[in-house]
Amino acid sequence: MTFTAFVEGPLVWIAFLTFLVGSAVRLLLFITLSRKKDKPVYRYFSLKWMLLSIVRWLFPTNPDLQKNPVFSILGYIFHICLLAVPLFYSAHITLWQESRFKWSWWAMPDNWADWMTLIVLAIAIFFIIRRIVVPSVRIITTPSDFLLIVICALPFLTGYLNTHPDGTAYQWTTSILPFYGQYSTIIHIITGALMLIVVPFTKLAHWILFFVSRSVIGIEFGRRNYSV
Amino acid sequence: MADAQTQPITINPESIRQAVDARMNARLKMWMGICAHCGLCADTCHFFTAKNGDPRMVPSFKAQKLKKLFKKKGNVDEAFMQELYDTAYGECTLCRRCTLYCPFGIDMAMMVATMRGILTSQGLTPEGLKAAIQNYLETGNQMAVSEEDWVETLKWMEEELQEELPGATIPIDKKGANIMYTVNAREPKYYPQDIQLAAKIFHVVGEDWTFPSKPGWDDTNLAMFAGDIKSASYIVKLIKDAAEELQVKRVAITE
Repeated sequence: MTFTAFVEGPLVWIAFLTFLVGSAVRLLLFITLSRKKDKPVYRYFSLKWMLLSIVRWLFPTNPDLQKNPVFSILGYIFHICLLAVPLFYSAHITLWQESRFKWSWWAMPDNWADWMTLIVLAIAIFFIIRRIVVPSVRIITTPSDFLLIVICALPFLTGYLNTHPDGTAYQWTTSILPFYGQYSTIIHIITGALMLIVVPFTKLAHWILFFVSRSVIGIEFGRRNYSV
Repeated sequence: MADAQTQPITINPESIRQAVDARMNARLKMWMGICAHCGLCADTCHFFTAKNGDPRMVPSFKAQKLKKLFKKKGNVDEAFMQELYDTAYGECTLCRRCTLYCPFGIDMAMMVATMRGILTSQGLTPEGLKAAIQNYLETGNQMAVSEEDWVETLKWMEEELQEELPGATIPIDKKGANIMYTVNAREPKYYPQDIQLAAKIFHVVGEDWTFPSKPGWDDTNLAMFAGDIKSASYIVKLIKDAAEELQVKRVAITE
């Protein structure tokens, strides 16, 4: 099997399975350990407080919007673009259609994908600068925080380059990395796979544990009449 | 800096590791893993604000010291334990305001409280707290008021009260009363008039109430502040046992 065939086939499977199974394992690890050691969560279990807390913090209906409006709004935009572009970009959906699953769903106009990609990259740069410049954020920043921003940004960077081969950014990239033109799609797939693979092993697991964490604190604060 | 850490710190790696493992639950592990280090908690902390934005007061920074301790598996030095002590007692009041602003709802107070529990397991507790906990274990209340002094104080207050309100009483060990009243042990020790005032209200509204003569009347729980769960539950159990023995309908916690 050629390297290209490996990346386009098995690696994509490995990436998606690592992401899905790994995230499920994180969830199961929480449930099994909490059954033994976090009894209050179950004793005071309340679907109402769980859902209220999740909804309040999933949507811009929480106090951080007022406290840190710029960072909060950029955070929301970043997350929306980060999820929407991979899921609704037309060329990605074409690949799903051509796959054994033959799945298909709504695609966003390509110029939306362009803009949202640029927004992700711009906000990623903002996040990196913020981590360096703001002392209260710098002190809690670890090397992996920088690395994860880069890992999340790379699929968007390569995706933008590859869909704009006439652009100056592409020319510039191929002049520094002459092999890029030959492997552009493969590199894009590898960066996407890397992002999916690191999710269960890093703080990115918050894509699923966010719901667990909000649930347990919603139950804890709800029963005490605090704001959930 | 927290005050009164005068005890020499001796490091017992195995004991520290066990203390950490025993307290590590699924929530703490999840929170240590998902904190995105976003910094939204920074300006929610009154220590951060009071110290003019000292980055070392960022709640996430303080709470993540628990992660450091967990990762070290007991292999820590005196300086690290001292730092943990200063953070747990001198830089956090466990108010939970940071949690109200954390997008994940990470309970940083619970993380700091866990640090306190681990420190206590190693004998690192502020002297005042340590003495109070000893008092609870020996006498059932934090001020070491003896049963004799307690009952005598109540009778004395009842006498004074009756001069003003004839017929008013401070019932002791009245079985089947509606309310078992509890106080802070500072009241019999330093401010017995407070007990008289409560009795006055109970008399005027015609409430059926009582005090237990035996331990269980002190409703403070300072062991909780040291993360000493074993002593904390013993103190709560004193109140529960007293209430059950007197077969009261409810317990009034005033603290």
